[in-house]
Amino acid sequence: MNIIVCVKQVLDPEIPPAKFKIDPETKQVIAPSGVPPVISVYDERAVEAACRLKDKHKGKITVISIGSEKASDVIKHAISMGADDGFVLNDAAFENLDSFGTAYVLGKAIQKIGGYDLILCGRQAADWGAGQVGSILAEILGIPVVTLACDIEAVDQNVRVKRIVNDGYEVVEAPMPSLVTVSSEIGLPRLPAGMRLMIARKKQIPVWKAQDIGAEASQLDKGNAHTEITSLTVPTRKTECEIVTGDTLSDAAVNLVSKLAKLI
Amino acid sequence: MSPVSATYWGISGYVIFWVMFIIAFGLFAQRLYFLFRLMALGKQENRFDRIGERIKNMLFEVVSQRCSLKSVTGRDLAGLGHAFMFWGFSFFLISYVVFIGLAEGFGLYPYIMGGTLETIYSSILDIAGLFVIIAIVWAAIRRYVVRPERLEISVEAGVIMIMVFSLMALHFCIEGFGLAGSGDTHDWPPVGAAFARFLSGAGISKSTLIAVSRGTWWLHYALILGFMVYIPRSKHLHVLASGVNILFKPLASKVVLEPIPLEAPEGSVTFGVSKIQDFTWKDLLDLYACAVCGRCHVNCPAQLSGKSLSPREVIHNLKEHLLEEGPGLLAGKAEEFSENQAKNMIGDVVTEDEIWACTTCGACQEVCPVNIEHVRKIIELRQNLVLVQNKMPESAQLMLRNMQTRGNPWAGAQSLRLRGDWTNDMGLKILGECENVNTLFWVGCTGALIERNVEATLSLTRVLKAAEVDFCVLGEAESCCGDPARRAGYEFQFQILAEENIEVFKSYGIKEIITSCPHCYNTIKNEYPMYGGDFKVVHYTELLADLIRQGRLKLTNELNSLLTYHDPCYLSRYNGVYLEPRRVLQTIPKAKLKEMERSKSTTFCCGGGGGHMWIEEQHGTTKINHVRMDEVIKTGAETVVTSCPYCLQMLEEGIEQKGVKDSLKAKDLVEVVEAAMKQS
Repeated sequence: MNIIVCVKQVLDPEIPPAKFKIDPETKQVIAPSGVPPVISVYDERAVEAACRLKDKHKGKITVISIGSEKASDVIKHAISMGADDGFVLNDAAFENLDSFGTAYVLGKAIQKIGGYDLILCGRQAADWGAGQVGSILAEILGIPVVTLACDIEAVDQNVRVKRIVNDGYEVVEAPMPSLVTVSSEIGLPRLPAGMRLMIARKKQIPVWKAQDIGAEASQLDKGNAHTEITSLTVPTRKTECEIVTGDTLSDAAVNLVSKLAKLI
Repeated sequence: MSPVSATYWGISGYVIFWVMFIIAFGLFAQRLYFLFRLMALGKQENRFDRIGERIKNMLFEVVSQRCSLKSVTGRDLAGLGHAFMFWGFSFFLISYVVFIGLAEGFGLYPYIMGGTLETIYSSILDIAGLFVIIAIVWAAIRRYVVRPERLEISVEAGVIMIMVFSLMALHFCIEGFGLAGSGDTHDWPPVGAAFARFLSGAGISKSTLIAVSRGTWWLHYALILGFMVYIPRSKHLHVLASGVNILFKPLASKVVLEPIPLEAPEGSVTFGVSKIQDFTWKDLLDLYACAVCGRCHVNCPAQLSGKSLSPREVIHNLKEHLLEEGPGLLAGKAEEFSENQAKNMIGDVVTEDEIWACTTCGACQEVCPVNIEHVRKIIELRQNLVLVQNKMPESAQLMLRNMQTRGNPWAGAQSLRLRGDWTNDMGLKILGECENVNTLFWVGCTGALIERNVEATLSLTRVLKAAEVDFCVLGEAESCCGDPARRAGYEFQFQILAEENIEVFKSYGIKEIITSCPHCYNTIKNEYPMYGGDFKVVHYTELLADLIRQGRLKLTNELNSLLTYHDPCYLSRYNGVYLEPRRVLQTIPKAKLKEMERSKSTTFCCGGGGGHMWIEEQHGTTKINHVRMDEVIKTGAETVVTSCPYCLQMLEEGIEQKGVKDSLKAKDLVEVVEAAMKQS
């Protein structure tokens, strides 16, 4: 069983909230120094799902990530968990792509790798949280997609997915090859164990540029983007506290009610 | 006439003597050989270095009985009894070789017996015998009537006590009947002679007396041989094994963890221990050395707070397991055994709950008279769970994942800071931005990331600057020393961090490292050398004591308050640093220091070691820091001072949860020092 997992490297969501800064001009996040970026949590669960399938059915897991050269860290992380191979997709043209652009690049890379039975993505990225890449990617590749998986089984030539819905789950089967997006309900990712840490540490991660995967510049042109960020702000949370008083308890209650009445 | 030179039913006594001896010795040697082969199933480990020093240590420990006397307290005097029994019995052991072996067996009777020397030695034996009897009776009362917590009722102990008691009683009988039978009156040896006078007065015929003396001699001989056969088959194997175990005890640090060869091909090395033969031979020797005295049991914080872990049971169960599995393993059925083994060592012999309950505080090892290494066995079992089976409490996994992806164990904690934040506006030299500084202040994850501990870090920085210590820090480039990963069994992550840190230290030419966390201190000082990192490592309490001694730090402000000092395990017990912090506190004018019952090297864990800052305690048990807090409260101190970031957090939590916030504060030692400094 050949599985390709798409992963993203994101700003560590565990940083103290006060340290989260953005630049409203360029509409970008300013990464604080001294905090290494991490693999997006949902993508890590997708890697875990792939490892569980590999434990059961054998096969090969390939991991790809669009990002800076440092994205090799998340590939190595996936390899330390049990993946076999991985590539970083790094090109100036890949920077700040929207979901469509991202899916296009991933699709090109996946077509280059070829020979897959299953593609796994996280349900959404832990930074922007759009949750679109998986579905668009399946569309580009022309394969079925099942989103929000909490359990994945391979049954004959099909993939049987337990899919999270509002009040429980539903079970969906799709023929392979297909694409599944993985939700956190699948369970904790494994701790990279044994020799795998060392194997991952030594692994050379090849970097593919736009031309290596045959991505066309016109498709990556910012003018062709389907989405545009019009403004970016950090939500401010303000709490004001006022103690309503009165000469007697019932006075205080009356004062409180009249204040509340004004607010409505 | 000697009993052996007589003839019995037409058979020479010598024949009977030697036939009996050969049978008994055969059984003794057979068992020892079996035990030796079992031990040899264990993995290799070199404990033969500094052999002269080892022998000296061992002889000193055993002959002086420091091993059993070191844990004697007002409440537990058993070690004293052991010492008397050991010394007393040693005299008898010599007499067995000389008076029975040489004199009787080899017929050197005329040269050895009957002289003044024999009388003197027999008199010593009489007195020794009395001491042994007193010790035995005392032990029996203690074991079966008083029944202290640490001892379990065992048949074996009873058998041995009856045997030793009988040996002593028979010794007096042989002497008494023999002397009475000789017809002369004697004053020496005192007990034998007194008994003889009593017998002479009882009107027993001379021939009866001689016959009884002879009969008891043979009975005595048979009992000694029986004793020899029984010892290696019972828990009293410790009589033979504990001396050897002390000989091979770790010399450099308390807990010796061997590096896993990182470059080995996959599948060629076992990670940690899952089968009894995965232990090293020294680990298996430990099992033989255990006398099930239970000192570890009553000093283990996990056990005392209601967890299922008992170091005594772990060692005892592993020994039983070794003896059970051993014959099959020796018969070369190792493969078969691992396939359909009736018992899984992890799970059936030692449970996962037990393995994860240990805080690695080392209290068990500190009180163990025979230097058993409990802690590393626990860690090796954890290594297997983490590196091979991927089985660990969720809280442990969370911490280890943070170590692996973020290089610190704290991610997700509420009062979290960014790594280099604390250095802001402190005007510190940051390594890489300064030159010619070869002293590094290694802050540690907790001191750099957690709000409360950062206060102590800042305080230490101010104190060091005031004393004009030239140092630099790594700031945001600092990583974790690897301790939490290693104690939780995640050996690879530890080794990766250790190698990276050593590389950094070396690349900047660092010679000396000041640490504020005892865990970093222990790791960098005792464990990094195995990975090629030899640096001078000082804990800040040592440094402060030194600065005060040199007059570079003056504590002049009065502190009219009662303090108690909580020794961090990794500082006091692991590294013997307990005088320096006390010296510092005693320099403060009007500071009164009151000790807790458990202090210095026998301190009691705060509950935060061995990864337990992050690993949840078993539900339904008392929290270890609450047990310690009760001891703190008992002193009546207004401030509990410590010198470890984990301890500080655990003590503060204990104060909060015990509801004694108004009367008790927890402070880091450096905060107390800073307050006592003359403010300029």
